[in-house]
Amino acid sequence: MVAPTDGALDRAATRTPRRRLAVWLRRVTRTGAVRTLGPFVPIVVLWWLAAELEVFPAAFFVGPDAVLTEFLDLMRKGVLPGYLSDSLTRLAYGIGFGLLIGLPMGFLVAMSAWARRLTWPLLLFFQAIADIAWLPIVIVWFGFSLTAVTFVIVYTIVFPLVLAVVSGVEQVPQELVRAARSLGAGRFRVFVEVIVPGALPAVAGGIRTGLGYGWRALIAAEIIVGTSGVGFMMFDARRVGDVSEVFLGMIVLGVLWYAMDALVLAPFERATVERWGMVRQVEAGR
Amino acid sequence: MTALEISGLAKEYVDSYSGDRVTAIGEVTFTVEEGEFVSILGPSGCGKTTVLNIIAGFVEQTAGTVKVGGRVVDGPGPDRGVVFQNHALFPWKTAAFGLRMKGIPAARRREIALEHLELVGLAGFENRYPHELSGGMRQRLGVARVLANEPAVMLMDEPFASIDAQTRRKLQEDLTRVFELRRPTVFFVTHDIDEAVFLSDRVVVLSRRPSRVREIVTVDLPRPRDWQGTTALPEFREIANHITALLSEGGDREGPELTAA
Ligand SMILES: Nc1ncnc2c1ncn2[C@@H]1O[C@H](COP(=O)(O)OP(=O)(O)OP(=O)(O)O)[C@@H](O)[C@H]1O
Ligand SMILES: [Mg+2]
Repeated sequence: MVAPTDGALDRAATRTPRRRLAVWLRRVTRTGAVRTLGPFVPIVVLWWLAAELEVFPAAFFVGPDAVLTEFLDLMRKGVLPGYLSDSLTRLAYGIGFGLLIGLPMGFLVAMSAWARRLTWPLLLFFQAIADIAWLPIVIVWFGFSLTAVTFVIVYTIVFPLVLAVVSGVEQVPQELVRAARSLGAGRFRVFVEVIVPGALPAVAGGIRTGLGYGWRALIAAEIIVGTSGVGFMMFDARRVGDVSEVFLGMIVLGVLWYAMDALVLAPFERATVERWGMVRQVEAGR
Repeated sequence: MTALEISGLAKEYVDSYSGDRVTAIGEVTFTVEEGEFVSILGPSGCGKTTVLNIIAGFVEQTAGTVKVGGRVVDGPGPDRGVVFQNHALFPWKTAAFGLRMKGIPAARRREIALEHLELVGLAGFENRYPHELSGGMRQRLGVARVLANEPAVMLMDEPFASIDAQTRRKLQEDLTRVFELRRPTVFFVTHDIDEAVFLSDRVVVLSRRPSRVREIVTVDLPRPRDWQGTTALPEFREIANHITALLSEGGDREGPELTAA
């Protein structure tokens, strides 16, 4: 990745067209936007080709241009912004409560032997009941409401999070705990200063997994509970046979998840576990 | 004054899976005076680490007592600072953690931390995370961390074992320099005879498992010491050869007659 930029020989070489192209490519790919969007270019091109050549019937498969038109149309009408904010509000509630419940529960189960003995069978049992399997009864209890959707998202997030925290705490090297103890830290300080940061790589992984599940649960819940939201939009569009809206919904999901990762999760990890050299630093996405 | 007093220490490990019992330490008794550097040597698996872990309070003994400054200790505490073989630095910390645990105010803490980093030759590295340091530097930092905390006894378990020979030599010399300057009380585990003789005032030689103290060898070499000069002394070789003989003799014949001290 490191470009040999100096040396007379090198400078002479840049004059040949191939060298010049390589330098240009390197300069372009260094910017964030290109790195982020670059991998999508061939996919969009393939997609566009498939649509242009009518590999599939046009009624089932629309090209990027149709989706873009649909996007602008729905933005102008205010439908998409409205649905988006509905989905994001539900997600925010779900994630908020999910983390608020999952993290303390995870650390409690990890730290206390009796809490573990008490809850482990329950955890395994309830984890087995898929999130969507709760929807029928949740709708009976809470109706087609924000509470119902939040419940399902929280439910999906909590279990992977608890399991991740437990395995994270188990991974903290015994020597670090010992070192802290013989530096004079009491049990509480050991927890705050050693166990929590030591478990962070696994916890960050758990949050990522949990959010991914929660995100999917949201869409599924919207499809079934269906009054508004991106998931509802897609399913409703299918009903009336508007394929471009379905495509648009799928793209919106991908973009939103990417944004959440790039804006929240990745910077957090960069500032903590990567800064501390606790995980291999991945160069992608910078 | 006696800083560390070990008497009748014994340890039997029970395998929680098979129920097998292993007597790691038979009966170990020795003392470390204040400001003294004492090493413990013995065949691999004879229980050196176990002795250190019991003193540190990480492992509970089956019998015997550990006294620090005349008081029986139980569990880990800041009076016994430990330098670990693989340094056990906190990946997420840059500054003096132990000092904060002691409740020393931040400004003073920084002062103490910088002073000790300088002492071990790490001036200018105060804002680095451990993964940004070399193996030798990490070990220096491990020493600084403990020194800064001013424990009654400093416990070191083969701190230089996983470091290349050249760096190890330098670390040994620097440790001697710091010791001669500060005179902390040190209990040092090693399996390197030259290292033990070079660093120590006395060397505790253990027999095979179940280990007993075979002999406590006094190292009466002048200080300050440096590697070239000290190891060239005829007395140095004499002591080292004596310990080598003790260790190889203890090999197959073991029994109560080996107990000394
Ligand atoms: N946690 C444990 N459970 C069971 N047996 C153990 C445990 N720790 C150590 N032992 C046993 O106790 C004996 C002494 O181990 P110890 O690590 O103290 O030896 P050592 O002298 O430090 O060896 P080395 O020079 O190889 O570091 C060994 O036989 C080992 O197998
Ligand atoms: Mg050992």
